[in-house]
Amino acid sequence: MAMASFRREGQRLSSMLYSHSINALKSGVSSQELAPVGARSISTQIVRNRMKSVKNIQKITKAMKMVAASKLRAIQTKAEKSRGLWQPFTALLGDYPSIDVKKNVIVTISSDKGLCGGINSTSVKMSKGFRKLNSGPDKEVKYVVLGEKAKAQLVRDSKKDIEISITELQKNPFNYTQVSVLADDILKNVEYDALRIVFNKFHSVVSFVPTVTTVLSPEVVERESETGGKLGDLDSYEIEGGETKAEVLQNLTEFQFACVLFNACMENACSEQGARMSAMDSSSRNAGEMLDRLTLTYNRTRQASITTELIEIISGASALTG
Amino acid sequence: MASSGGAVPFWRAAGMTYVRYSNICASLVRQCLKEPYRSESLSREKVHFSVSKWVDGKPEKPVVREDSAE
Repeated sequence: MAMASFRREGQRLSSMLYSHSINALKSGVSSQELAPVGARSISTQIVRNRMKSVKNIQKITKAMKMVAASKLRAIQTKAEKSRGLWQPFTALLGDYPSIDVKKNVIVTISSDKGLCGGINSTSVKMSKGFRKLNSGPDKEVKYVVLGEKAKAQLVRDSKKDIEISITELQKNPFNYTQVSVLADDILKNVEYDALRIVFNKFHSVVSFVPTVTTVLSPEVVERESETGGKLGDLDSYEIEGGETKAEVLQNLTEFQFACVLFNACMENACSEQGARMSAMDSSSRNAGEMLDRLTLTYNRTRQASITTELIEIISGASALTG
Repeated sequence: MASSGGAVPFWRAAGMTYVRYSNICASLVRQCLKEPYRSESLSREKVHFSVSKWVDGKPEKPVVREDSAE
């Protein structure tokens, strides 16, 4: 019963608010900017301020879109050229995401800056999915996080599993040296049987697919090729130079990790710029629509106030004469 | 570069990884260039990132690595 009376009260209040602010609701002005109770319509000053700020936002997002487009063009050629680095590795050592190992390390690549759409969340979701897939008795999963955005998201529920976090990667334009020093650091500090790198692959300006590449440690490669598992025909290659197979494998896997990480970082950077472009584009379009609606409201209130003034003048004049 | 079977190459014995060895060789090659190509290629060698290890779910103080291809 009390609830019913509360509800009735609520309905009465909301209907009161409605009649006072029918114009305001149409233009989406927040309740703090409503005219004081008793005024007939919102003042045009408020609408004008709001129009000015929306117009500024539209200009800013348009500029951000242009900047992202130009950055994308620069990185895109680099990324496409870097694809040739890891393709021979995949042909030789294969890329088997379904491999079953004890120590998995998931390297999640994300951006440092925001406003780039949903690519960081998809990467994090994929990493978490991989963790679930690979967890089990005597299997452990650790994270290496590149970029601020993934770190913020992973800290919330997987704090204990983060091994290393790396930020400020994009201060200089990308080069292989930086990524290889990074790869070196990771290799030195993390024990792993398989490294899974999660990133957004850049297919086109509007499509970024989250992908994962797997780099195995030399021991696992050796094991697989010996048991004739997935890498069984590795032994059919001849090794020059008098080095043992284990050494060659170790060099190869280190180099493979550096190359794959380089390509992954570039593709992720391309995807980030592309996603930012489309996010800023839709944002400036929305700002334009909001501006249209506000202009209509502004004109309507202006005309309404002019009409009221005219009516008052005319009725005053007719009251005097008649 | 051939070594007797079983002996590790000198850089591996010194504790370097292959990646670091190839980076050092690359920087040596870059320093052999003449201007203006030299400054162009040295600009492709800059390294800057900040690493922080996590212990027990807490990040330690981040270390900024700002060397050039060390």
